[in-house]
Amino acid sequence: MKLTINTPEGTRDRLFTECQERRQVQERLTRLFRQRGYLEVSTPDIEYYDLYALSDSAIPQERMVKVDDPSGKFCVMRPDSTTPIARVAATKLRSVCLPQRLYYEQTVYRVNTSHDGGSREIPQCGIELIGAAGQKADLEIVAMAIDALKACGAARFHIELGHAGFFRDLTSRLNMDREQMESVRLLIEGKDLTALDRFLTSYGDSPACGALKRLSWLFGGPEVLTEAERLSGGSESVELLRTLYDELSAAGYGQYIRFDLGMLHQMDYYTGVVFRGYVEGAGDAVLSGGRYDNLVGVFGRETQATGFGVDVDSVARTLPETPLPQLRTVVYYEPGYLAQALEAVDSRPAGTCELSPCRTLESSRNLAREKGAESVLVFDKNGERVEPV
Amino acid sequence: MSDRLRIAITKGRLLEQSIQLFEAAGLDCGPVRDPGRRLVHSIPNYPLDVVLAKAPDVITYVEHGVCDLGIVGQDTILEKGGTFFSVLDLGFGACRFALAIQEGSDFYGSYKSKRIASKYPEFTRAFFAAKGMDVDVIKIEGSVELAPILGLADAIVDIVETGATLKANGLVPVETAAQVSARLIVNIASMKLYKNQIDDFIVKCRAQLTERDSRSGGM
Repeated sequence: MKLTINTPEGTRDRLFTECQERRQVQERLTRLFRQRGYLEVSTPDIEYYDLYALSDSAIPQERMVKVDDPSGKFCVMRPDSTTPIARVAATKLRSVCLPQRLYYEQTVYRVNTSHDGGSREIPQCGIELIGAAGQKADLEIVAMAIDALKACGAARFHIELGHAGFFRDLTSRLNMDREQMESVRLLIEGKDLTALDRFLTSYGDSPACGALKRLSWLFGGPEVLTEAERLSGGSESVELLRTLYDELSAAGYGQYIRFDLGMLHQMDYYTGVVFRGYVEGAGDAVLSGGRYDNLVGVFGRETQATGFGVDVDSVARTLPETPLPQLRTVVYYEPGYLAQALEAVDSRPAGTCELSPCRTLESSRNLAREKGAESVLVFDKNGERVEPV
Repeated sequence: MSDRLRIAITKGRLLEQSIQLFEAAGLDCGPVRDPGRRLVHSIPNYPLDVVLAKAPDVITYVEHGVCDLGIVGQDTILEKGGTFFSVLDLGFGACRFALAIQEGSDFYGSYKSKRIASKYPEFTRAFFAAKGMDVDVIKIEGSVELAPILGLADAIVDIVETGATLKANGLVPVETAAQVSARLIVNIASMKLYKNQIDDFIVKCRAQLTERDSRSGGM
């Protein structure tokens, strides 16, 4: 039998700087989350598929990593963190006073259908603000998204805001049923504007229809809101976006805000303001979130919620490389001097000093030379001394 | 990136029609008509650079953002897929995907599983999946018409323009699987970065197409 020892498609070993950079982003994000009153929760890596089937998950079944379970039930590796956290909020935290601020730092697992070089393991950090409706909660979460990317050290980035209600409003004005609405959504999300135009011809030339045809173009600065108002003749969701923009601008966040009213991802899931964060140097969104007022209710406690997740590795890749510490000192100690040797290591900057496991001073010196250290620190009956390599 | 847009155009028939469209819209296509040894052709009176490519490469260039725009047949898009904006049906290059069988055979008449030969296996698979039929699809690179004659396949799915080649080989088209024509496609990041420039170009092209339609009696 031929055995395979390389890592499976979509997974890989990560060494040193990659781990360090990932850890750094995680630490910066979670520090900010804790500062703003969020408490950490952790959910299992493995969940019953039922959890995601019940919540009508936006992640298609074929993108979930399945695992065998002794119970005979179908299990999946957690494809997203929000769903299990919604379960936690509705069950274990049922009697806790709302709003609840929760954060997580865990990996999600997704199968890549095409060979696009994407990873199956995606470490994420995110927050969920459970039990808070309305504009102030939206405001807090968008400001938090901006501060999160700032905290990571991203130099040039922006957050694109949209609203799930705008699309719903337009399609309902055209009296579309669920199926027609889904067809339009797929055409807009699939970016097939040619087919969209053709599909919408039978709906006449009402403002709602004109706005739908133009929806994919409604991205950019605040002028987009004006255009959306003009095309649609006004919509509550656009008004909300404008209010958010004014408030955020007054707080000094305006420069990071853009709009994309054609953002229609996961429409079954999101119910209000949706947003994505883009950092220069990353090809795709590194942050994604929005309001999902129906999810927690599925698990037995009716309450509103909003939140976002950050793709840690994608952010880390855009940051300047952080150098690894350089080894300077190797410590050689004779029997009976372990305490002094360890104290010497612990008193120096991390990674610049390590113990020699060699029995003789001579081989310790050779080791130090091979590793590029500058000196050997010796502890023996004569006390402590530094020898050059 | 300079302030010029770059477009990849499919070589061959679509290129000639694209040039006609551009020239009607007032673009000076001299450098494209007379390319010499250059590979990138600059339009002198409009901020547009043109490169020529094979159809699937047009999609690859646009997806990877080395070209902002592309002109490619919907047949290639249906087969290859990809993530980009398809913004305009250019109308030319019109033909259809058809299912063709040997004259006198009865394709839907038996429950025997079918074998289909095609240059477009992904499209063929999706076409039959939508019908709820599970068929074996065989990819053929050259003359697909040969497959039923040799007994390799029960039917073929191929691009049909006049149907003359089919007829000459004893095949008849029994069903249209899709109508296809040339599309203008746009890279996603370019759409965001050069929104106004791209919008301007689309408006120019669309104006010509509308004029053509009205001249030919409209749709």
